Amino acid sequence: MNEQRLSERVLTQEQRKQIDHWLSKFPQEGKRSALIPALHIAQDGNGGYLTNELMDAVAEYIGIEPTWAYEAATFYSMFDTQPVGRHKVNICTNIACMLMGSDDIVAHCEKRLGIKLGETTADNRITLKIEEECLAGCAFGPMMVVDGHYHTQLTPEKVDEILDNLE
Amino acid sequence: MTDNAEATNPETVTIEVDGRELEVPKGSMLIEATDNADIHVPRFCYHRKLSVVANCRMCLVDVEKAPKPLPACATPVAEGMKVRTRSERALKAQKGVMEFLLINHPLDCPICDQGGECELQDLALGYGRGVSRFTERKRAVEDEDLGPLISTEMTRCIHCTRCVRFLEEVAGTRELAALNRGEHTEIGTYVGAGVHSEMSGNIIDLCPVGALTSKPYRFSARSWEMLSHPSVSAHDCVGSNLQIHHVRGAIKRIVPRDNESVNECWIADRDRFAYEGVYSGERLQAPMVRDDSGAWQETDWETALEVAGEHLKGVVTREGGDALGTLVGPTATIEEMYLAGRLTRGLGSANIDARLREADFSDQDRSGTFPALGIELEALDGVEAALLVGSEPRWDQPIVNHRLRKAALQGGAIMSLNYRAQDLNYPLAAERVAAPADMVAEFAAVAAALLETATGRQAPEGLDDLLAGAQVGEAHRAMAARLRDNARTAVLLGQGVQAHPRGAVLRMLGTLVADLSDSRFGILTDGPNQAGAWLAGAVPHRDAGGQPASQPGLDARAMTEAPRQGYLVLGAEPERDCWDGAAAEAALRQAASVVCLTAFVTDAMREYAQVLLPVGTFGETAGTYVSAEGRWQSFPGVAQPVGEARPAWKVLRVLGNVLELDGFEYDAPDAITDELAERCREETPSARVEWLAPGREAAAEDGLYRVGLVPIYGGDALVRRAPALQRTRHATEQGVRISAATAQQQGLADADRVQVQQGGHSTVLPLIIDDALADGAVWVPAGLTATAGLGPMFGPVALARA
Amino acid sequence: MTAVRDFFRTFFLWELLLGLKLTGRNLFARKVTVQYPDERGPQSPRFRGLHALRRYPNGEERCIACKLCEAVCPALAITIDSEQREDGTRRTTRYDIDLFKCIYCGFCEESCPVDSIVETRIFEYHMENRGENIITKDQLLAIGDKYEQQIARDRAMDAPFR
Repeated sequence: MNEQRLSERVLTQEQRKQIDHWLSKFPQEGKRSALIPALHIAQDGNGGYLTNELMDAVAEYIGIEPTWAYEAATFYSMFDTQPVGRHKVNICTNIACMLMGSDDIVAHCEKRLGIKLGETTADNRITLKIEEECLAGCAFGPMMVVDGHYHTQLTPEKVDEILDNLE
Repeated sequence: MTDNAEATNPETVTIEVDGRELEVPKGSMLIEATDNADIHVPRFCYHRKLSVVANCRMCLVDVEKAPKPLPACATPVAEGMKVRTRSERALKAQKGVMEFLLINHPLDCPICDQGGECELQDLALGYGRGVSRFTERKRAVEDEDLGPLISTEMTRCIHCTRCVRFLEEVAGTRELAALNRGEHTEIGTYVGAGVHSEMSGNIIDLCPVGALTSKPYRFSARSWEMLSHPSVSAHDCVGSNLQIHHVRGAIKRIVPRDNESVNECWIADRDRFAYEGVYSGERLQAPMVRDDSGAWQETDWETALEVAGEHLKGVVTREGGDALGTLVGPTATIEEMYLAGRLTRGLGSANIDARLREADFSDQDRSGTFPALGIELEALDGVEAALLVGSEPRWDQPIVNHRLRKAALQGGAIMSLNYRAQDLNYPLAAERVAAPADMVAEFAAVAAALLETATGRQAPEGLDDLLAGAQVGEAHRAMAARLRDNARTAVLLGQGVQAHPRGAVLRMLGTLVADLSDSRFGILTDGPNQAGAWLAGAVPHRDAGGQPASQPGLDARAMTEAPRQGYLVLGAEPERDCWDGAAAEAALRQAASVVCLTAFVTDAMREYAQVLLPVGTFGETAGTYVSAEGRWQSFPGVAQPVGEARPAWKVLRVLGNVLELDGFEYDAPDAITDELAERCREETPSARVEWLAPGREAAAEDGLYRVGLVPIYGGDALVRRAPALQRTRHATEQGVRISAATAQQQGLADADRVQVQQGGHSTVLPLIIDDALADGAVWVPAGLTATAGLGPMFGPVALARA
Repeated sequence: MTAVRDFFRTFFLWELLLGLKLTGRNLFARKVTVQYPDERGPQSPRFRGLHALRRYPNGEERCIACKLCEAVCPALAITIDSEQREDGTRRTTRYDIDLFKCIYCGFCEESCPVDSIVETRIFEYHMENRGENIITKDQLLAIGDKYEQQIARDRAMDAPFR
């Protein structure tokens, strides 16, 4: 078994350096805390989603069991384990936004993009994330997060503008 | 105790549960207090041996002044706390939780193996509604194949995560995970890797519903129709306490019996699933003898015993008592060993041995009562340092490994000196990998390192010879320091010492190291009853009761190397169970009379034996095992023996009568046990070997050297025939292992299969490159069918491309 | 006086005629005797006779080896062995009913979650040899196959009362 370590093969040196940065913030027995930032680093380098190999590599690099990585990656909606489009559109559907009409926003987006929640447009441009939970913008609902940027007090027109500006 | 005393005791607090005053330890959880007071609080996720997660919410109880019901498993007790477990608010909360749990739980109890012993079923009766208010579709979850032992039905899962926590916290292999979120939560491996822990079967017991059930047991019985009897594991020297469940005399499954001082509430998969071998197609159904032409004929017991008696009597009359040898297998009970010993000695022979997998007997007269563990199993949990020599407890004694793991997680330094790097589920504090030829020198170096700091201790005579020029290194000093500087320490020798050609020297060194570091000294022996063999007189140098024999006979190795004319084989398959299988088989083939008391019949046996007598296996025979701790554990015969098989003690008893020997008039096995126990009363367990200056060994020849230890599922006839265990990765991934460097040197780097040659015998096996091994060491497992014909477990070996 | 009256009564066969009066009345009354086996009395759809194992319309046996009937049987007349069939389903390998032990209480039928074991209207059966009192799975299924129509009709008739 003189093969290269998986993490050295799959993660770039730059990525490993970034993970090291996070690892240095936590004590040795709490190194599992670096998992979420590390998964983000791996996901960002892979077109927005995680493969099994990437999760294994991250777990190996941090020195935890791979099942920890699978759990975190499948639990949090900011991680994807299936290929996604270039842009991720997360429309909050929790109670505050729902009361402010997020259902209409969702319906509008679905109609405009011709896809359902959880699907990706055929040109691989946009993924509508399914079951997005509260994104802490309750005061300005309905709201959505596109590629990490918050867009609040949405109206169908506003949504159209945002979507149209996505490459 | 008065109220005043209670109030002043700083270690306890007083709480009131359902109007009862309870005094409970500070910091404990409410559910522990109620459990100890026999107040039942329903629960699914809580288990006393696992961490608390409070995710099932079934144990909600009403605590006074708390705004909402609190989970009893995660609520620490506080002074003056008033708890009501059956108040309206508590019951309403519990019933609410139950209703949610049942929303997605399928109504397939009639085909569910958990039906009748299901915690959800039981609690649904008490807390569930008669009719569900939920009319929507139930969710379905795809099943995952977790391997040959565990059957899954994940739709039934209620996400208590006991299995996840067990594998992480106890088994030390986090193979299962709680994936996804909320309503979509699933338990699985995500990548379909399966569960491979050697203790994985315990998640079957832990699962409160029928999501995880036993695959071999699947659909074969119902919990209410089975009878349950206590038993003891027959596969390692721990003596795990078991409960055998059977229907009409047929064993259906094995479950653990709680015994905090032995196996807690866990058992290894080997203890749980080996019972399948009892119903193997290779069971000998009826007594068999050879007719005049040499062909096998089934016969009745009376005739068979007559013929067996004639054979044994014939050998000793013709050739003298010394021409008879008795080989006792690893799973024989002390009653069987005692009778076999008396029978052999009664026939004028002292050649009886149960130490089939040992090679070096030169210390047998200097050693203690029997190869004992030297430390209580429970105390292993708390060792601060332990040195394992030639021992891989994870595969040999999983429960010992579990206890050492607990010690390691508490900061104990577990160290290993072995032929290959340990594959453990906890970190080792230090590890040395040594080739078999260097083992003695390495161990001697640890002793020498201890002597460096021991004031007033002289190096015993001949230690330099053992060092054979090896230098004491920093690694040895570090190991020595940990043993010396800690109070609770142990030196434990394993299978790799017992089977080593210089085992006597290693045992002697073990005693020395333990003495110098004030450690406990023990041996993790092979089989369930090695200690019993020494006490019952199934060794050539000790009579029953552990007394030195006046006329020592031949040991197991000598009996195979200097062939006898007659053999009595009790519960062994010598070609697989002996140290030198090839020599054993050759010796038996040339013998005029071989009488086998065996549960299973092999092709080799049909060739060398003259009489085959079917005996009962584990579960079918009553008896007693003496664990390495020195714990005598008796168990009843539970199952109906297959075919004409009879418990071996009965067969030996009648054989004693047929041979007209005195004192074979027993009616029940406990009469034998009592008689033997009476004779062993004075004995205290000790594996210590007194020092005797060893001579200098000739330097080992260069070349490949076999390390042939017994793998986890190869130890005895029963395990070898348990189909589910044999399909696990531990059994299927067997082959020849060598390090990459050795492979390079032998020109085998790219070979898939190799021919293993040993003393004129050869076999072809898959080749696995494994850098855990020392260079020059060739790992060829013993005890397997594929390696049955090979020579010594430790010895020179040659590899060739196949 | 009484003696004289008794004499005349006896002499004119008075008692005999009294008896014959009953005979005469019944001679012309409607007959209740059933000429079994040519004639048969009525049977309830709930009649509890010989057992049968039923199948689903697609031919699959209903029994799933849950063993509730075995557990509920007060006479311990039922013996079941089960295993996982090749297609992964839970099935019996043996389903024996000892007809000598059976008390025809119908509990097995009540306990069956899949309406597999039923008691039919059959009550005329006999055994000629020792051991024939044990009725096996194959026999039970054969009975079920033969009388399925009637069994189904009887269950349907009783369904409104359940």
